[in-house]
Amino acid sequence: MSWEHFLYFAIAAVLLWAVGAWAAWKDKTGMAYATTVLGLLVFFSFILSMWISLERPPLRTMGETRLWYSFFLPLAGLIVYSRWKYKLILSFSTVLALVFICVNLFKPEIHDKTLMPALQSPWFAPHVIVYMFAYAVLGAAAVMAIYLLLPPRSSFARYQGKNLGGLDNLVYVGLAFLTIGMLFGALWAKEAWGHYWSWDPKETWAAITWLAYLVYVHYRQLPHYHNRLALWMLIGSFVLLQMCWWGINYLPSAQGSSVHTYSISE
Amino acid sequence: MWNKTWTFKEGFLIGGGLVFAGLMLELSVGPVVWDAFAWPANGIVLAGFIVMLAAMVYLRKKVYAFQWMTTYQAAIPAMVYAVVLTIIMGLTRQQVNGTWLNNMLSFWPFVLIYVYITVILGLTIHRRLRKMFRGQGAMKRDIPFMLNHLGLFIALTTATLGNADMQRVKMICGIGEPEWRAMTQEGAVKEMAIAIELKKFIMETYDDGSPKRFASEIQILTKTGKNIETTVDVNKPYEVDGWKIYQYGYDTQMGAQSQISILELVSDPWLPFVYMGIYMMLAGAVCMFVIGGRKRV
Repeated sequence: MSWEHFLYFAIAAVLLWAVGAWAAWKDKTGMAYATTVLGLLVFFSFILSMWISLERPPLRTMGETRLWYSFFLPLAGLIVYSRWKYKLILSFSTVLALVFICVNLFKPEIHDKTLMPALQSPWFAPHVIVYMFAYAVLGAAAVMAIYLLLPPRSSFARYQGKNLGGLDNLVYVGLAFLTIGMLFGALWAKEAWGHYWSWDPKETWAAITWLAYLVYVHYRQLPHYHNRLALWMLIGSFVLLQMCWWGINYLPSAQGSSVHTYSISE
Repeated sequence: MWNKTWTFKEGFLIGGGLVFAGLMLELSVGPVVWDAFAWPANGIVLAGFIVMLAAMVYLRKKVYAFQWMTTYQAAIPAMVYAVVLTIIMGLTRQQVNGTWLNNMLSFWPFVLIYVYITVILGLTIHRRLRKMFRGQGAMKRDIPFMLNHLGLFIALTTATLGNADMQRVKMICGIGEPEWRAMTQEGAVKEMAIAIELKKFIMETYDDGSPKRFASEIQILTKTGKNIETTVDVNKPYEVDGWKIYQYGYDTQMGAQSQISILELVSDPWLPFVYMGIYMMLAGAVCMFVIGGRKRV
């Protein structure tokens, strides 16, 4: 098994996930579970056969890491869906998985890209995958916030606008993963660089992002809050998150001073 | 304003007051001198901080401000100030010898706001504990609260105060010559209780010439009588007698033929406490994922 066979597995998995997302939207819960799980099995069978044919876990190259994102996103989406029946989450996780799959399909030259020693760690995959999932969920929350800030046109928007409970669940999941990703990063940094927190520009922006979401979470605990302010906080926090994710690559103050310069997410 | 009960307005004014006080301190006494916190000073400061929190708790009925600091109206503005100051830090170039905004970690307004947050955390933890001991709590919410807040409190205090006790030295080890002298960050020579002899430096490259592996086969002799042969890889430090030994560098002119290996030795006696805080926060984050936000339908 090799990358040549990836296309067939990818198409089958994405089609199954898309059917699952549609079923979730239409409240066909059983079908949503069944097709999403089936899609995951198809995708994982490719990972597993790569594992066997490579004689090592496929975690070394960027392309291989993206395989795991594409697998974990619908899986995490499914967990969130099973907990809160959040209709949109499966659509979102499918689209995001598709993005990573497309990168793997259309930029095959990076499959053979080698992994520098600083990245060869058991922490690499969990740190990045957990962060990617947090970014995905918080992205969904930001999209939702923008949607709710628009003048209500549909009954769905009016219904959702009444309370932010569903949105809060999404933020809690995102913040939980953001925290885990950050702390995994700290534990890894101790092993790789000798210190768990060095206020590297990436770390500084990670702290900013984390604090910004903490402000939202605490603000939402108040008995009286302004809906629109809360929604704007989510959008503002997601803008800060972009800074952390890729914005610092263009930030003059971070040039040459970051040890996170191997651009993990490309 | 300043009538009971205090709101966000007072919260933002108090935060602003701290920033102003910080600016005055920066002007009058200069930046925070973190090196002065080396043991035992940091232990004394930590004990003093806990005593101060206890005094605030004791006086909370008499001094309204201390009671108010356990409210969202205090916590949220404090966090907003921290976000803004940290954004400024993220937008300005940070330098070890920088001043004011270019050395945010030693900039009084930044330090005071984070200390204020830690005070709020401490008082809020105490308030929650009292509620729990009165039997008015709900374990499902109180345990995650404690993991998140107490974990952060422990990590913040011990990481900040313990930093001055952290030692990072570099040792240049050659083949066949046990080395026990190391260079501190300030450039001074330090004699270690550990001697390291390089057996072999390993450098592997991929087919395209990019680096694949840097490692050192070393023999370690300690004053405590240990004699260890091991290999130190990037990302795989070796720990002995409280020192973690890292692969740091090599003779780049010689490449794979390098006859020396530069190792970094790091000792951080406060690490177990910081890790306790980090592990508590990790457990708290798992709880946050499992339990989620409060249900409001």
